[in-house]
Amino acid sequence: MQKNIVEVKDLCFEYEEGAKTIEHVSFSIPEGSYTTIIGHNGSGKSTIAKLLAGLLEKKSGTIIIDGIELNEENLVKIRNKMGIVFQNPDNQFIGSTVRDDIAFGLENHCVPQEEMDAIIETNAERVGMSKYLEHEPTKLSGGQKQRVAIAGVLAMKPKLLIFDEATSMLDPRGKSEIKKVIKELHKESNLSIISITHDLDEVAASDLVVVMHKGHVDTVDTPHGVFDDEAKLKEMHLDTPFSMKLRRALEKEGVHVGNHITMEGMVKELCQSLSNT
Amino acid sequence: MGNITLGRYIPMDSPIHRCDPRGKIMAMLFVLIAVFFPVGWIGYGILFCLISFTIVLAKLKFNFIWRSMKPMLFMLCFLLVINILVVKTGTVLFTIGDFEIYSDAVLNTLYIAVRLLLMIMVTTCLTATTKPLEMTLGIEDLLKPFRKIGVPAHEIAMLISIALRFIPDLIEETQRIMKAQESRGVDMKEGKLKEKIMAILSLIVPLFVSAFQRAEDLANAMEARGYVPGEKRTRYKVLHMQMRDYILLGASFLTLVGMIVLSRVI
Amino acid sequence: MSISIQHLSYIYSPGTPYEHKALDDVNLQIEEGKMTAIIGHTGSGKSTLVQHLNGLLLPSEGKIHIFDREIIAKQKPKNLKSLRGEVGLVFQFPEYQLFEETVLKDVSFGPKNFNVDEETAISRAKEALALVGIGEEYYERSPLELSGGQKRRVAIAGILAMNPRVLVLDEPTAGLDPSGTRKMMELFKTLNKEHAKTILLVTHDMEQVYGYCDDVIVIKQGKISTQAKVSEFFDEGNEIEEMNILPPALLRMKKMLREVGFKLDEEAKDIQSLAKEIAKQVKKHG
Repeated sequence: MQKNIVEVKDLCFEYEEGAKTIEHVSFSIPEGSYTTIIGHNGSGKSTIAKLLAGLLEKKSGTIIIDGIELNEENLVKIRNKMGIVFQNPDNQFIGSTVRDDIAFGLENHCVPQEEMDAIIETNAERVGMSKYLEHEPTKLSGGQKQRVAIAGVLAMKPKLLIFDEATSMLDPRGKSEIKKVIKELHKESNLSIISITHDLDEVAASDLVVVMHKGHVDTVDTPHGVFDDEAKLKEMHLDTPFSMKLRRALEKEGVHVGNHITMEGMVKELCQSLSNT
Repeated sequence: MGNITLGRYIPMDSPIHRCDPRGKIMAMLFVLIAVFFPVGWIGYGILFCLISFTIVLAKLKFNFIWRSMKPMLFMLCFLLVINILVVKTGTVLFTIGDFEIYSDAVLNTLYIAVRLLLMIMVTTCLTATTKPLEMTLGIEDLLKPFRKIGVPAHEIAMLISIALRFIPDLIEETQRIMKAQESRGVDMKEGKLKEKIMAILSLIVPLFVSAFQRAEDLANAMEARGYVPGEKRTRYKVLHMQMRDYILLGASFLTLVGMIVLSRVI
Repeated sequence: MSISIQHLSYIYSPGTPYEHKALDDVNLQIEEGKMTAIIGHTGSGKSTLVQHLNGLLLPSEGKIHIFDREIIAKQKPKNLKSLRGEVGLVFQFPEYQLFEETVLKDVSFGPKNFNVDEETAISRAKEALALVGIGEEYYERSPLELSGGQKRRVAIAGILAMNPRVLVLDEPTAGLDPSGTRKMMELFKTLNKEHAKTILLVTHDMEQVYGYCDDVIVIKQGKISTQAKVSEFFDEGNEIEEMNILPPALLRMKKMLREVGFKLDEEAKDIQSLAKEIAKQVKKHG
């Protein structure tokens, strides 16, 4: 049986008494998967990320990470298993140089000083920042700062990486840089990834999609399954990939094509219908 | 903001730059104390020569020191006026109308000016040659013995280093908000009192809002990466005292002793 | 021509080691009534350029002609303040400029700075809030308590209430979710089409350029590398490829379909007409 890296059962949370932000949320995420969480702003996505990282205290329900229940006692143990990269590249850069910033987490985890340099260098290499180790944050682009943030959490050898809209404040170049780094990390190791995102290409390429709406989990499904119900997504103020929109438009013209979440897949099918003659 | 020189780090490669921050901080304290002893013009002359030698060693320009001194000139002029009005000892230098100006008034001001100059020279030797981060590490180590009496050495150092890290960001933020409000017709430079108050409010309130947001983000990021205030942690940057550090310490200590002796002799 | 820029250069911190030429001999004509996109990589000089349009930055060299005003390098500019009333500049993340106790007060802050009397300022604020879709129930609430998207709308209303002829927006949709982005872009379209505002939009999103703008200006390392009609710009394609930016989905789809043998009309510029074209060919074969 496949192991779950995250299991959330009947989770509730409120920022203020009576104003429920998260209501009876349950889902589980298999180990080694690339999961995306989508939902419009205010749907509770980021709150879920903070609850998983133990930065907010749940009201009720359980969160199990890699077989251990998240509670005050186990907090440190669980923090060793996961890392989180936040939205704003500036506000999570703690050290005065790239090297110092990656070291910050190691210091907290009481890694012996002699081992730090090697760990810092390996992880900077993994995100392509080896050449920038002595750089100060003001001299780095947003994408580079986010790569440093990733290196910083990778250095703690997590099993689970959470990205809380980590690309939303970046320019197109930074966005594609970070998406590439995440994809490569997922491929080369058995890292489980949860990415909270609005990026439809990223959603389409993920293994599992969790759709959040008004503090509830609406759907947990494959990208195909989620994007198939266009009307429902629209109701939740969510966008659909171009290929799904084109499919709808083609239907109006009397052409029926399969459910494709990428343009490439759709082009392939349309191409075949051309050569059918 | 670019023209503030006092306390600024000047990246260079010099023996002083390479010294251990702890040694430098202690050396600065010794010399600062020495400056406070009444050692007369001979003493100040010796101190001036010694500190100038250090400045040359640190490859700093005297022009840089002078620019740090400039903002103090106004204060010194003010002091001179006060002294002239109050001090009535020594010989009369000259009279303006009925008013007599005594030599001690001028001499006193000169003394203070020289001391101030020496103090700025010494502190600049430290701040211009020590990276802010090294400075905090040095302070943390030096405060360690006081931990027993409840001084949170590490927390203080962390606080300083984070403040230093975010100063450039906050300056940028301030400029951005100023420009945004100027685009709404705010005049940051002129206007009636009421308009001025509004202008300042329109800058301060957004600055606070964004600073709080930053603080919250930062706290989350630090906590998520396993930082617990007061918990044991290892340290990446470890300081090592070397021969040159002991020489610097010894020399500055000797200077202090020398000045104390000199002040007794005079 | 409502805005014309001639030989504009701008140098940051001249005479220091940090000296940096952000704009280099920029020449531009921007037509009144149009919606023009300004695109370019981070650090290309987009933000520096737009800050010249309302006199926040003054040219190091060259001159700018805006309506009946001229800003000339090395000459003391006249009437900068009234220029700021005519060219409304909305910074990136404008929600960070909100500071008043109530939404209504914050939005009327701009007009009041231009010596408009209290009553007119309030009525203009109400109009602006209606335009951005913020209802009366929010008038007396603190702007700091609103959601991210609402805050941004209030901030934009704060500029609109000054009743500018030109609206300059620096990445106004950054950080919004897809539906927030769409609503925002629809708002700008309305302002442009129905309220005759000239709009300049700094953006990274080619869907916005393709779907909403008339003209496009490309800035590269402080120089204008292209100024073109949006339709022509995307037809050429070279510039986009060179800049390494992702073209709009519709155009990418068209290109892929052409590569596998579809013959598509240039005129298919929205999704339904593209579907029609595809359907025609599929049915021919089927």
